[in-house]
Amino acid sequence: MGTAPVVTIHLPGPLRPYCAGVSRLAVAASTVRAALDRLEQDQAALYRNLCDETGALRRHLNVFVNSDNVRDLAGVETTLKEGDVVTFLPAVSGG
Amino acid sequence: MADRVLLTIGTRKGVFVAEAKKARRSFALRGPFGPGVPVYSTLVDDRGTPRVYASSCNPFFGMKLLCSTDLGKSFKETAKAPEFPKDDGRALANIWSLEMGEAKGELLCGVEPASLFRSHDRGDSWEMVQGISNHEHARKWQPGAGGLCLHTIIRDGSRWHLGISTGGHYLSEDGGQTFRASNTGVGAGFAPDPYPEFGQCVHKIARHDDAPGRLYMQNHGGWADWTGPGGPRPDIGVLRSDDYGHSWRSIAKGLPSDFGFSIVVHPHDADTVYVLPLEPATRTCPGGAPAVWRSENGGDSWSRLSHGLPKKETYFTVQRDAMTIDGLKTPALYFGTTTGQLWMGREGGESFECLFDSLPPIHNVKVAVV
Repeated sequence: MGTAPVVTIHLPGPLRPYCAGVSRLAVAASTVRAALDRLEQDQAALYRNLCDETGALRRHLNVFVNSDNVRDLAGVETTLKEGDVVTFLPAVSGG
Repeated sequence: MADRVLLTIGTRKGVFVAEAKKARRSFALRGPFGPGVPVYSTLVDDRGTPRVYASSCNPFFGMKLLCSTDLGKSFKETAKAPEFPKDDGRALANIWSLEMGEAKGELLCGVEPASLFRSHDRGDSWEMVQGISNHEHARKWQPGAGGLCLHTIIRDGSRWHLGISTGGHYLSEDGGQTFRASNTGVGAGFAPDPYPEFGQCVHKIARHDDAPGRLYMQNHGGWADWTGPGGPRPDIGVLRSDDYGHSWRSIAKGLPSDFGFSIVVHPHDADTVYVLPLEPATRTCPGGAPAVWRSENGGDSWSRLSHGLPKKETYFTVQRDAMTIDGLKTPALYFGTTTGQLWMGREGGESFECLFDSLPPIHNVKVAVV
């Protein structure tokens, strides 16, 4: 079994207070779900902003792998490869 | 010595705090805190050094609880907000009510989907109150237009009253261990059975310490003209109980509408109660002319209070937690509107003036003398 690829997670400003102010994190994960599981372990406060108690991604949050919304890929089961950039962004909504 | 009046104003765009001297001649506004995020519940916990709490219901990143230890000059998130156990299957969608618990530092929090949580450490950690959150009816309650919310928490020693929309009134007589639906006389308009065991759309419940067995309820009225199964059910919207919430009877006669959201009891007179009737179809003030209605005899008769309020072309809604009254010797009534106005009615509502007229839509107004 190989080592999981290391990806970079980019975080918008409102999420940075939940991970010591950093704007990016390096995580070893082979899928988006695995990356979220890693964050649940290592960055619990940040994770609660991304997923609800059932583990579902928050409804108004978009996740991109490089330039693609995971909604157009395989959702949280989207596979990651070394060097991928995972970006969490609030959806354009509200008023 | 308590010498300041503190208003907490939960809005669609954060929480504001307004402060005045006891004469209430002018209020200084600060905020918004938690900017851009809806706030549906606030609480001034005045046991010891006052703390101001506000729910911050972030549609993007989930629910937070904000706390201020400097009378609303600054707020910080508590360590945690309530959350359902991971294997429960429910996820927190909103925070609708905050109340003081029995012990110092204890808080109670009503949420959506309708459940109750308790904190023993001023909101840094939470436990689910199982007796209501996992009540045998809990998975049968249905959301109203505002969501499935537990919005009213009233403690009277070991007797607890909860208001759930739509679930009804639930009563505990063992300090919150167990609850039962207690809705005898509480009508429902949106089901064939006009008086079901549970499932009523209770909007708000209020009481006074001097009359512990008496409760007032603003229920979901507006069903006088219903001609379907079960027949019409007039006057089910404003109710009173004289037996600790075991049974209820209508006190809506004399009001222009039995629909409304908020209900408030005078701080020094258990017989004086206030409602703000709304048209059921539009949920705005009847005839476009807003008025608070007051009863000084426990609901036997009502009088209209509108001095200072607009006389026409006014179509706001006042939500369930957006009307309150302070505890001063000559109390002032306050209500906030969905059009962002905050009104104060001096002399218990005899004469109204607009304190702020362009806030974001207002969900919640609380007041304390600190």
